[in-house]
Amino acid sequence: MKKLENFFAEQPPRKIEMVRARLHQLTRRDVLLFGAGAVAALAGGGFLLPRETLNRLGVRRSMDSPGKEWFLNRALRIDDDVAEALYSANRRVPTYTKSQITPLKNNYNGATPDPGYISGWNLILDGLASGLSVSLDIRNLTSRFSLQEQITRLVCVEGWSAVAWWAGLRFDDLIRAYSPVSQAKWALVESSVNLDAYGNPDPYFMSLDLATARHPQTLLATHFNGQPLTVDHGAPLRLLVPVKLGLKNVKAISRISYFAEEPRDYWAERGYSRYDGI
Amino acid sequence: MPPAKQTKSTSTVPQRQHVLVVKRHHLLVRWSHWLNVPILLGLVLSGISIYWSSPVYQHKPDPTTGNFDVAADIGIWLCAHVPGLHRYSDSPDWIYNHLSLGPGMLALALRLHWLCAYSFMVNGMVYVAGLLLGGGWRSLLPRRTDLFDALRMFRYYIGFPFAKLLRRKWRHPRFNTKYNALQRAAYFSVPVAGCLSVATGWAIHKPMQLHWLAAILGGYNAARVWHFWLLWIYIVFLVPHLILVLADGWDTLRSMIVGWSTRLEPPAVIAHEQ
Repeated sequence: MKKLENFFAEQPPRKIEMVRARLHQLTRRDVLLFGAGAVAALAGGGFLLPRETLNRLGVRRSMDSPGKEWFLNRALRIDDDVAEALYSANRRVPTYTKSQITPLKNNYNGATPDPGYISGWNLILDGLASGLSVSLDIRNLTSRFSLQEQITRLVCVEGWSAVAWWAGLRFDDLIRAYSPVSQAKWALVESSVNLDAYGNPDPYFMSLDLATARHPQTLLATHFNGQPLTVDHGAPLRLLVPVKLGLKNVKAISRISYFAEEPRDYWAERGYSRYDGI
Repeated sequence: MPPAKQTKSTSTVPQRQHVLVVKRHHLLVRWSHWLNVPILLGLVLSGISIYWSSPVYQHKPDPTTGNFDVAADIGIWLCAHVPGLHRYSDSPDWIYNHLSLGPGMLALALRLHWLCAYSFMVNGMVYVAGLLLGGGWRSLLPRRTDLFDALRMFRYYIGFPFAKLLRRKWRHPRFNTKYNALQRAAYFSVPVAGCLSVATGWAIHKPMQLHWLAAILGGYNAARVWHFWLLWIYIVFLVPHLILVLADGWDTLRSMIVGWSTRLEPPAVIAHEQ
């Protein structure tokens, strides 16, 4: 017991005799090193900070360099790799009861599409093992596949989240019914009806790794709050992938294609991460 | 090693050429301490930029301006009431223009935040390694007498300016430890806050894979609130930390840069003797 107390007890500092000149020399060396570090930190800040921030600080010259993008993308890739390592196909996300449901806003990035597209809507499947392109309408999908209900949290990259009640077919069931080409590791999920803030066509395209597409809680949702999807929430078919950020949950899907290599991604091209696992 | 023998040896050499010193901080503690300055600055600035995109504190949108963000309200209030800010053209963004990288740059702020967050975690491990290698962790542990001693120190700090004004002697409480109780409380709780910032950060960064972590903290939304308020601990710590270190003088600052201190007794006692 005494021994343990001694272990935790603060010990008096060891006094060492030093030649005064040596202390001055060490001090000079370390203070110079400290100054160099401070200059390096300032240079690093100038290198990494956004131009708008530097402008506000009075730096008018553009400090943008290709190295900056490379460096920040590197940090983003490390974080994506961590997210991918954390993912487990068997880990279910928490589900909630109906009393825990919270409002879900229409977070279309631009304008909400005109509902005219719904009547002639078809889902196109490409990159299949059969080599064919398949077209399915909504009745086809809802009658052939069993619908699964789930109440899960949708988390936006902005920080807000909503607990919502969905129903839809499992993406995995669609993959089983229409096998992708054998080397396929990626799905490209597109919405041709997406609009930008001015109401002009702005097709949305999003990469999804097949491991996540096959997760038991990844749905191609057809219902929200017990009703068929409205235009706000991506009628007639939207992706619901609760293990990813909201921006991967494509509304009004018009085409799904399978690829061996990672396809393009709308938000990755705008500076966000591409894996987006949460 | 008994220090008495060395003290004896100094008496035989001329005072001018030799000096007795003690090692105050391990090399790794010093490095991680200073690296924390740019890292924490980056985390705070990018963090408030991220906060802008979805503020924790919101109210119903104002019918005329459409504003719903409490931080924007504060900016509007500041520009209306603080002289010299009346002409500020962008009052709702005042807080974000002055305390963050800026509004409307979520993608960039996120990338910087991840860069700084991973650096912060690595740096934290370097700090812990330095504490273990240098034995400095023992000086940070709370003591049974801390509450009473903290009150004594508090009384000293409160009375100090008045005593100076009245040119009265104001005695520094005596301690035979490296830190006084208030310092110990501060230097112990800031690393704890660092760990909590990391934990709440992971809880809101990976709320599905690490949902148990968010659950411990009271859920995803509660973890966001925790993460936000933990930021203020660093700011509340920083202000007295800077003032007191500067007031304490060169030896204290040097000990964090060079490691050595010529104050052989605990600084509190020395200050009292002066």
